[in-house]
Amino acid sequence: MAQTAQDDPALRERFERDVLPLLSSLYGAALRLTRNPADAEDLVQETYLRAYRGFAGFQEGTNLKAWLYRILTNSFINTYRKKQREPQTVEGPDDADEWYLFDRLGAQNVEGSAEEEVLDRIPDEAVKAALESLPENFRMPVLLADVEGFSYKEIAEIMDTPIGTVMSRLHRGRKALERALWETAKERGLVDG
Amino acid sequence: MDDCGPECQEALREIERFLDHEVDDVVRLKVERHLSGCSPCTDKLEFRVHLKALVQSKCSERELPAGLEERLRRFLTTSDRGIEPR
Repeated sequence: MAQTAQDDPALRERFERDVLPLLSSLYGAALRLTRNPADAEDLVQETYLRAYRGFAGFQEGTNLKAWLYRILTNSFINTYRKKQREPQTVEGPDDADEWYLFDRLGAQNVEGSAEEEVLDRIPDEAVKAALESLPENFRMPVLLADVEGFSYKEIAEIMDTPIGTVMSRLHRGRKALERALWETAKERGLVDG
Repeated sequence: MDDCGPECQEALREIERFLDHEVDDVVRLKVERHLSGCSPCTDKLEFRVHLKALVQSKCSERELPAGLEERLRRFLTTSDRGIEPR
């Protein structure tokens, strides 16, 4: 009979010690990608199963978190991209609008550091929704860089994309996110649109 | 719109990679030197720093759904396709 996790306590112990603590960060990413809790749970389960099965091949001491996110990303693409057909472009502000949100909040005639206070008043759910509104090619690098704190090089490896592509998608994704945040702030009456 | 000189433009071109800690020391020092004497650019940088921190804190999930970890452990142990042999 093939050796399984049950027969390899050392490997299993290492998996539980190193991989299970990353559950909440992986679940959060899964939720931002799938946009609903049931699919996020399925995606996390699939990711953990694949990681569990492949764990013997993971080299200890290399980047475990990036390895797991790569599995998560691949699982997401294989399972959900077909389900969630959507346009893969962003309508971001154009290049002349490099400081889209900063300029708009700055024009609100509010005092002091109020630009930042306006942002703070946007509820968590609305910021999540703004991020989730980005097409996945742009959402993924923003999620990986800004929420998970990965470097450009790690994101390139996770997404299996050249680093230059990561940088341009991250840039355009962030601009599109600024626009979405501005729209949500307007809808909520936090700014005069 | 602001009194942006070539120095500001040069610094702002690097600001995203600077913020992401993706510039080398030469560029980093150059940007830092510019920022130390330019409050409009510093305001812009601080805004982006704040925005990035806000996205991180508001888009993270601090709480897992009830029972998820238990369901996951059970799923992994009962899955007879466990860790492949070396």
